[in-house]
Amino acid sequence: MEIDWLKFFFYCYAALALFGATMVIFSRNSVRAVLFLVLTFVASAGLWMLLQAEFLALILILVYVGAVMVLFLFVVMMLNMNLSPLKEGFVRYLPLGILIAATIVAQLVWVYKNTDMAALHLGELAQKPADYSNITELGLALYTDYLYPFEIAGVILLVAIIAAIALTFRGPQNRRSQNIAVQVATRKDDRLRVIKDVGPDSDLKA
Amino acid sequence: MLSIVDYLIFSGLMFGIGTMGIAINRKNVIVLLMCIELILLAVNTNFVAFSRFLDQTTGEIFVFFILTVAAAEAAIGLAILVVLYRQRNTINVEELDELKG
Amino acid sequence: MLTWLSIIIILAPLAGAISVGLLGRVMGRPPAHWITITSVAISFAASVWILGIYIAQPFEVFEKTLYIWGQSAGIPIEVGVYIDSLTIAMMCVVTFVSLMVHIYTIGYMCDDPGYQRFFAYIAFFTFSMLMLVMSNNFMQLFFGWEAVGVTSYLLIGFWFKRPTAIYANLKAFIVNRVGDFGFLLGIAAVFLVFGSLNYGEVFGHAELLSNETLTLWSGTTVSMATAACILLFIGAMGKSAQVPLHVWLPDSMEGPTPISALIHAATMVTAGVFMVARMSPLFEQSTAALTFILVIGGTTALFMGLVGIVQNDIKRVIAYSTLSQLGYMMIAVGASAYAAGVFHLMTHAFFKALLFLGAGSVIIAMHHEQDMRKMGGLWRYMPITYITMLIGSLALSGIPPFAGFYSKDSIIEAVKLSTIPGAGYAYFAAVAGVLVTAIYTFRLFFMVFHTKPRMDDKTKSHLKESPWVVTVPLILLAIPSLVIGYILIGPMLFAEHAFLNPSLYVLPQNDVLAKLGEHFHGALAFTLHAPMTLVFWLAVGGIALMWALYIKWPGIPEKIKNHFSIIYKILVEKYGFDIFNDWFFGKGTRGVGNVAWKVGDIKIIDGAMVNGSAHLVGRIAKLSRYVQSGFLNQYVQIMIIGLLGLMSWWLYAWVG
Repeated sequence: MEIDWLKFFFYCYAALALFGATMVIFSRNSVRAVLFLVLTFVASAGLWMLLQAEFLALILILVYVGAVMVLFLFVVMMLNMNLSPLKEGFVRYLPLGILIAATIVAQLVWVYKNTDMAALHLGELAQKPADYSNITELGLALYTDYLYPFEIAGVILLVAIIAAIALTFRGPQNRRSQNIAVQVATRKDDRLRVIKDVGPDSDLKA
Repeated sequence: MLSIVDYLIFSGLMFGIGTMGIAINRKNVIVLLMCIELILLAVNTNFVAFSRFLDQTTGEIFVFFILTVAAAEAAIGLAILVVLYRQRNTINVEELDELKG
Repeated sequence: MLTWLSIIIILAPLAGAISVGLLGRVMGRPPAHWITITSVAISFAASVWILGIYIAQPFEVFEKTLYIWGQSAGIPIEVGVYIDSLTIAMMCVVTFVSLMVHIYTIGYMCDDPGYQRFFAYIAFFTFSMLMLVMSNNFMQLFFGWEAVGVTSYLLIGFWFKRPTAIYANLKAFIVNRVGDFGFLLGIAAVFLVFGSLNYGEVFGHAELLSNETLTLWSGTTVSMATAACILLFIGAMGKSAQVPLHVWLPDSMEGPTPISALIHAATMVTAGVFMVARMSPLFEQSTAALTFILVIGGTTALFMGLVGIVQNDIKRVIAYSTLSQLGYMMIAVGASAYAAGVFHLMTHAFFKALLFLGAGSVIIAMHHEQDMRKMGGLWRYMPITYITMLIGSLALSGIPPFAGFYSKDSIIEAVKLSTIPGAGYAYFAAVAGVLVTAIYTFRLFFMVFHTKPRMDDKTKSHLKESPWVVTVPLILLAIPSLVIGYILIGPMLFAEHAFLNPSLYVLPQNDVLAKLGEHFHGALAFTLHAPMTLVFWLAVGGIALMWALYIKWPGIPEKIKNHFSIIYKILVEKYGFDIFNDWFFGKGTRGVGNVAWKVGDIKIIDGAMVNGSAHLVGRIAKLSRYVQSGFLNQYVQIMIIGLLGLMSWWLYAWVG
């Protein structure tokens, strides 16, 4: 029997990803949960790679694992939570959670099994020529047909940056910085106060 | 040969784990956020699989945008979390019951 | 020319009313009465001008639509004028009496805080009445009809701080609603048959009415003519205070006396008579409706006069007298002697306004005391009022050669000749009514002006004749009361081209006035014929009887009262109409209202619907409050369960 290596790697990665995901929700320690999430994402990137979606797989690792997960980790460490009480009542809701998840999965699987994928042109993975470049393909689509959505995505990221800063920024604290606007706007009356007006006809003059 | 059903079942299981995580986790907001990431990952896997099996780039483009939005969401969600923690000194979900009229 | 004159006639009082009504407070008293008097005088002058034009060159009818106010389902709602002899007669009477009342009011209301308001109201009333009289369609007639009703309401309740006045104006309003409902239905019936509300078009095809029938319920049909005419007449019953809708008129005496003279004697209450005369082409189509009018008119004429005998309030006596005289007018129009009815309307307007204003003059002298038992011997103090009241009383009693004689006698003679069913009853009522009229009129006259003074000394010491603004209208009204009958009976009723004939339509077999005209040989002969009639002797007898009872042997009335206490009681209680109304309608509706209030309102509407829905919302909210706990994870969980539900539904649809 010849081993279908593709399928073999698929199951390896899938098992790894599902294991990581399970550990994310079950692990007591948030730091470890984040690390398991990293594992899940890396394994998923492997799965995407098997589909020849190389660019997205790399993006997933670079952006998610490299940026978002680090952000998670950073926040978890920064907040310095007392971890143990945060897992209380866990067992109580477990049956409900399993029930919900099992129902959803059962429904999905039932539908997949009863669908003729070939009829929907989903039977086989399209074979690509050797000089096929996923990145070129995506880039062409992204910068022509999807130019406006792409720019909007950029704006969304900008908004997210501004929002995140606006939320967390607490203003300059205890800084002896120069306020130029106040310096420019100042007037004579602010600096000079006349105690007594001594006019030319005043008695005090003499 | 890889079949699309394999990918779909994988992403279905991932989605189930994500929802289960939300359902059973009553304490930690960060874990809730991570569960949302898991769900998004499941959705993204579906998109990629369909895109490849249909031999169309559309699905992958969509994933690209989802990743963008998810990154933004994670950034803002964590920022809110930080602010929340500053205010309440906790991220215990059960103590966060102000969200009502 | 006629167009401009009629516009001036209508708009002058309106302008006066609006300017005084809005600016009265600013302008003060003298401008208020000068503006309104001038505006009404302009109206009067223009009316007389139109009369002059008509006399110089009679025209059939002048009709013109001035303004289309709106259009609904193809029916134009117009403002227009319809000028013929009937309109001209009414215009002259209305504006003349109104002018007299305006002048008189200066004296009567001189120390009232609502002086300007009063002038605004009566000027507005004049406008409304002219709109009613001059209209060329049913819609405008109805507008005028309601507008005079509103002013009547406002003026009865003019002293709105008196509970009795408020009660009276409410009563007048409600009773008139009953009549107006009938009137509106009548207008609807007219529209149903003719498809138009214009007088010209309706009267031109009046015979259409008798061809139509109305099915009341299966098997019972009634001629459309009868139905429409009776419905219209119900409106007239309300406005002209015919039994059983008369109850508001005596109470309306709560209003100031000039109002009683203008609205509740001379003009507004005669609107019903005018309306029936105006609709003569329609009423001629239905003998049944004429019979109905005769019976109602006869009943009102006799029985309301009887109530007048036992009243002690000077104004109420005259009020019941008005009811009785309106009954006479209704008898006349019921007997198809429309011209006689309108003629009596005119003479009555003058002498009844005179009597009311005279009574007002007495009331001023008595410092607003209205009880006749506290008067007496006033002739010495107020000679002008005395003489003018005497003229008015004689005119009312129908003594020749005063105005009332001619009009009333022609009514009685006309109804005698009438062949319409019910004429016999109406004739009897009219003849008996003459005696009654003489009795109550001279009872009032003797009690007020003769007999021993019964007022207290303080009042007595202040007794004096009223100022000229009061006496001049009295004199000006006394003159027509004296002569108008003698002068106008020929031209109005019996001349070859009698004044009113072009505007009235009478079937040949009903034309009693024509038959009467064959025996008419001038007003002088008519007057000289009087001593040979029963009616004359009844009137004289009534006066003599009162002279005997109140001056010669003053103790007797009391004995009669005690002897016939049951009859007296019935009369004092006005046949129990008020009691019945209070008991049946008042208490009944209050009962129904109570039930509706306690069960319908409190239990069903408040209890079940208003509070019930609130309770329901409250209960749902109580339940749904658990949903909105504020816990984030619960929200998320609900979202997931919702998603699960959605997925299950899709799955179900997919499988199905």
